[in-house]
Formats: sequence, C-alpha cells, structure tokens
Amino acid sequence: MKKKSTLAILLVASANAAVAGPIEEQIRFRQSAYSFAAWNISKIKEQVVNHPETFNKDSVAAAANAIAAVANSGLGALYGEGTDKGVGWKQTRLKPEFFQKKEEVTVAANAFNVAANELAKVAATGDVNAIKTQFGKVGESCKGCHDLIRINE
Amino acid sequence: MKITIHIWDLPHRLFHWLLAASVTASYITAKIGGALIDWHGRLGLFILGLLVFRIVWGFIGSTHSRFVTFFPTFSRLVAYLKGRWQGIGHNPLGGLSVIALLATLAVQVGTGLFANDDIAFEGPLFDFVDKSFSDQLTGWHNTVFDFLLALVVLHLVAIIFYRGVKKTNLVVPMLTGKKKIPIALAEAVATDHDKGFGPLRLILSLIISSTVVWGVSGGISQLYPVQSQQQIAQAAPSSF
Repeated sequence: MKKKSTLAILLVASANAAVAGPIEEQIRFRQSAYSFAAWNISKIKEQVVNHPETFNKDSVAAAANAIAAVANSGLGALYGEGTDKGVGWKQTRLKPEFFQKKEEVTVAANAFNVAANELAKVAATGDVNAIKTQFGKVGESCKGCHDLIRINE
Repeated sequence: MKITIHIWDLPHRLFHWLLAASVTASYITAKIGGALIDWHGRLGLFILGLLVFRIVWGFIGSTHSRFVTFFPTFSRLVAYLKGRWQGIGHNPLGGLSVIALLATLAVQVGTGLFANDDIAFEGPLFDFVDKSFSDQLTGWHNTVFDFLLALVVLHLVAIIFYRGVKKTNLVVPMLTGKKKIPIALAEAVATDHDKGFGPLRLILSLIISSTVVWGVSGGISQLYPVQSQQQIAQAAPSSF
C-alpha cells in the first residue's frame, strides 16, 4: 500500500511539477523534512547507541514515530521537474540523474519507508538492542538514496 | 655472494600490516554504512594512531624506517632515474610513494575527524566546526579517497612489477624483516643498517601516538567543552 502510494506520488510529481508549488518551495520543504528527521535520528543515536544509560523509552518512541511520519509523508511530491537546481534553505544537492533514475530511486525510497516504519514498531517495545539493530538499518536506507542521487560536496 | 640483513624492524612491519588491514576495513565499513559507520569512526582513530606512530618512528626508528634514509630529495630522484642510485631500503621512487601515501592518509584522517554523514554519524571533532564546513570537509573526505585508492593501486602494481620484471620480492621482507643483498652493496652503502631501536624509543612512540588519539577522541572535548548536539539529543521528552 505504502509502496504504491510513494510510486504514485513520484509519478504524479514528475508528470506535473506544479503540484507541489514553485521549485524553491519544494526544495525548502524537503530540506526541512530531512532536517527534522535528523534531529529525531540524533536523539535515537544518543539514547540508544552513544549513551544507552540516558535511554528514555517515550522520547525514543516519539522520535521513531516522527521519522516514520517524515518517511510516510509522500516526500516524492517535493521532487518535481527542475528541482535539481535551486536554493531552498541552501543550494540543493539533488543530482540531475535523479530524473533518469526514477525506478532505482523508488526502490531506495521505499526501503527507507519500510525501515522507518519498522523502527517505529520496534521503538514502541522499548527493547534497546532491537531498536539499535533497526536503527542501523534505517541508516543504511538513508545512505541508499544519498549514494544514488545526492551530490558530493 | 649475498648476505641477509635486517631491514624492516618489527614495529615498522606491524605498522604496515595493521595499516593495510584497517584501511581496508574502514573502506568496507564506510561502503556498508548503517551501524558500521561507528566502526568506520573507530578505525579512523586507530589509523590516526598508526600515522602518528609512523611519523615519530620516521625520526627515532631503526635506519630504514627513518625519513632521512629514504626521503625522496630531488638529487636522489635524479640519481635514481639516471640509474646511479645505490641503496637497500626504499628507493627514491618508493620513498615518494611512501610519503604520498602517508600524506594522503593524513588528509583523509584529518578531514574525517570533522566529517558527518548527514545520517547518524559525526567525527569526534565535529562540534568544533560549523555544519557547513563539516559538510565541505566531508566532501573532501570522499574525493581524497579516490586519490588514496589510486595510490594504493599504484603501490600494488609496483609490487607485482618488482616481482615479475625485476625478480625482487618486496612482500617477504615486509613479513620477515629480512632481505638478502649482495655483499658488495652492503659494503658500499651505510654500515649501520642492522642497528636496532631499543624499547625506550618504542614506548615513547606509543605514548605520543596514543596521547594524540586520546586527545581527538574525547580528551580535547573534556578540556575545552563546546556546545554539542548531545545536549539537544539527550533532552527529556517535552510536555508539548
């Protein structure tokens, strides 16, 4: 279900860039989304990996839910035609190849969805070791897209 | 007539093989990412320690480990290319390769200390720079790697070339520390090639390298605390 919706959003976005508004706005929204996810990722990293003695079940569960919410929000809509160039909060690092690699991107993006949703599920149990393992998988799924379509600075 | 001499001392050989193993491992962990990125960071710190050790050892190690013995000066390079160079350890081109590898690794480790992966990893000195500068250094970290890879390939090709064309095995001496050379050559060049290094020098080198690693991996942050993301990340859940 989620896979289908992500794919649909990507296709709609590519068919009609106007759906998500001007280029700069799309870039700004997606940068904000990843930035918000980064804050939540840092909480889990800190409380589960770096300093497990500070683990707070509610805080980590809330963070995992936030990451899943970002993943499920249909980010594909923010990748309209022409959004490989432009300034949101800063210059976008989207590779122009993004638009030729739609299928690979869809696979990588879905991997993030699946991993993030699973993390939310695992976080609800409060099992630190299980959260740690799944958190690593989320990191791998982030890297999947970064390696594929993000410009090296 | 040939004689066997001690050319690479044990710390030098250990350095070499540990470096080869840890650089390989850090490449693999970076490629896989995820939870392994933390091991990439630890390996980077270990490589830092190895590099500092090698630099110190380049001054106080045994003869053929010292920079003065093999540093590729212009006159040595010219002599070598004209076929007039005589020596036992690194030849000037080999010396150039050693210096290039060490310098590149130093840049690689140096940038890595400040890097971040925009996922869940920050180098141990990340908090000392702006995020945007860290991003820039991360970019260099990625780019310099390609250069490092090229140097490593050149290093391996040279070893195969020496084996196949020049009929010289460079790998065995790096394992055993011993090398067979013609007596005439041994008499023609420096006579102190069998000189050892003594435990004090080894201990001093280890102290210096482990102090540097301790410093960047947390010591500096303890002495000079900076605002870090840790405070935000550790904050108790908010009521709204």
